[in-house]
Amino acid sequence: MKKNYSLTIGWLYSDLMSTYGDRGNIIVLQKRCEWRDIEIKIQKISIETKPEIISSCDLLFMGGAQDTQQEIVEKDLKGKKGKLLQKAIENEIPGLYICGAYQFLGNYYKDADGKKIEGLGIFDLYTINPGVNTKRLIGNTLIKVDNQEPISYLVGFENHGGRTYLGKNIKPLGKVIKGFGNNGEDGMEGAVYKNSIGSYFHGPILPKNPYLADWLIQTALEKKYQKDCELKPLDDALETKAHDFIAKRLGVEL
Amino acid sequence: MDSSLISAGKFISFISRTITQGNGSTWPGHIALKLNNNFIHDVVKKNSTKIIFIAGTNGKTTTSTLLRFLLEKNNIRVFQNESGANLLNGVASSIIQHANLSGKLPYDVALFETDENTLPLLAKQISPDVIIFLNLFRDQLDRYGEVNTIASKWQTALNKLPKTTNLFVNGDDPELSYIAQQSGLKTHYFGLEEKYMSKKEMTHDVDFLYCPNCHHKLTFKKTTYSHMGDFVCSHCGYKKADFKPIADLSIPLLGIYNLYNTQAAATVVKDLFGIQINVIQENLKSFKPAFGRQEILSYRNKNVMILLSKNPAGFNQSLNAIIETKQKLNVLLVLNDRIPDGRDVSWIWDVDFENLIPQAETITISGDRVYDMGLRIKYAQEQMIEERKLKIEEDLTEALDTAIQILPENKTLYVLCTYSAMLEMRKIITGKKIS
Repeated sequence: MKKNYSLTIGWLYSDLMSTYGDRGNIIVLQKRCEWRDIEIKIQKISIETKPEIISSCDLLFMGGAQDTQQEIVEKDLKGKKGKLLQKAIENEIPGLYICGAYQFLGNYYKDADGKKIEGLGIFDLYTINPGVNTKRLIGNTLIKVDNQEPISYLVGFENHGGRTYLGKNIKPLGKVIKGFGNNGEDGMEGAVYKNSIGSYFHGPILPKNPYLADWLIQTALEKKYQKDCELKPLDDALETKAHDFIAKRLGVEL
Repeated sequence: MDSSLISAGKFISFISRTITQGNGSTWPGHIALKLNNNFIHDVVKKNSTKIIFIAGTNGKTTTSTLLRFLLEKNNIRVFQNESGANLLNGVASSIIQHANLSGKLPYDVALFETDENTLPLLAKQISPDVIIFLNLFRDQLDRYGEVNTIASKWQTALNKLPKTTNLFVNGDDPELSYIAQQSGLKTHYFGLEEKYMSKKEMTHDVDFLYCPNCHHKLTFKKTTYSHMGDFVCSHCGYKKADFKPIADLSIPLLGIYNLYNTQAAATVVKDLFGIQINVIQENLKSFKPAFGRQEILSYRNKNVMILLSKNPAGFNQSLNAIIETKQKLNVLLVLNDRIPDGRDVSWIWDVDFENLIPQAETITISGDRVYDMGLRIKYAQEQMIEERKLKIEEDLTEALDTAIQILPENKTLYVLCTYSAMLEMRKIITGKKIS
């Protein structure tokens, strides 16, 4: 039987930028499409992949990594891949960018030794790592997403040394209720630009926040098919339990 | 000074055991180090006991148990730090426990299992005769930090050691082999024979796919598991060292990872103590596993095997070990997020539970993060959950009872659990055991 819809998810640097269980985001997107009879293709994009592949993707994902791996990716993104990624984001291709990937999209990153590393400049933000003697921001976290009706919360786990500060041309993903968020100071977490989301909620953000997964899928379908696409509801009882469990653990009444 | 610390330590250990009913394993060492931070160094230097460090993410306890077993079978006197007490205080405590009151250690060999971050600190205190590097995988990143950081700390520590130090290193691991070569120490490789390797797609628990020397992508001709196998860098030429693993070595434990542990222990015993391979092979036949490491217990007249599984590579290995039995499987998965487990449970998404599903007869899930594990299993399945096969229980005792209840006759329940869950599980099982 031919399926009505199909999507290609581009998974950027699956072999390098995937240290914290980020693969879970891909698994969740894939299953939630399959359970709705949406044909899905996972396109892995790494150093050796032709850059043009990026332009064939309907949805993009990139996770976080350790420093050594990030250095390898940073070099590769300086080439054509970075430009095509920028084009896709500007063209409103939906995407999810976690931790290191989120930092890469910004204007720059100042590392622990004070060395400034240029970012892709797609997201109006910058990141500073205050050095090894400053505490990493680690723990379970909960945020309230802006402008969502009914009010939506996202739960997750963060573990980052870098502090990210948003510029004027970008909105946060949500307000921190528990945890640290972008920098532990201004009460903001993540960023939203066009249909792209950046966040520190690593490994993985989507299983316990299925509505975010569905938003990405729906946006990708509507963008690709240029029409309204209603998603068939799924039984999310277990997802809800897992989500509410974290809120309860953090002492937040939803 | 140190003699009095030893006697005081022994006294504290006694009190601690009596009052708390605990094992009292790290307090005496903690106090001794507070009073003399060179305590370990000072005691060890007065003795001719051979010092062996065992480091690696997975398999430390099994390897030290194997090594001790083989040495004692051959009349070599051994003491070791208690399993899990692998920080400086644990090492100091084991010295207090085993030294006599004049500071003499009446043993031929001291085996110290060392935590990844403790190895450099311990190497500053005592220069070991032998270091064993088993493997290096990402593990509890919120606690240990990044694997590359650990690798570079190990490198720095090795570079400061006398060149006569014997280093036994897993030659199938590209990062560890590189560290060994850079150190210039007397390197002995161990690994697995080619028959255990195959050409397969890389799993998601890998950490070292890029050349440690030039950062280009490594080519793996074949692998055993994770990033271990026959590797070469086509850019700079760095490749797996030329060595021959001990042939036909086997032990009564499941899983390819235990073959690595066995090769490590056997290679040390062969190269350093001159024990013949046929003697080692004969000795291994009667080996019994360490607690919680494929240990078989009985609960309500049914067999329960506990497999400690605490990081992506380790969990995949536990899964593969039971899958290799080729039988329908009944499993209990327990995921905790306490300090010894790591607070972050994200790593379960790097484990290939998809491989378990086709062979699973029943799956029961529990632990502090029961719903996270529940979701992982839900998303590992092709179809939506079948309730008959999947039970989710917050309470660990109820989960165990449920799993035992639905366990078919004459089958084994495999319990795959994180560290604190393993301790809890043993307590429930042994506490209720009617012997």
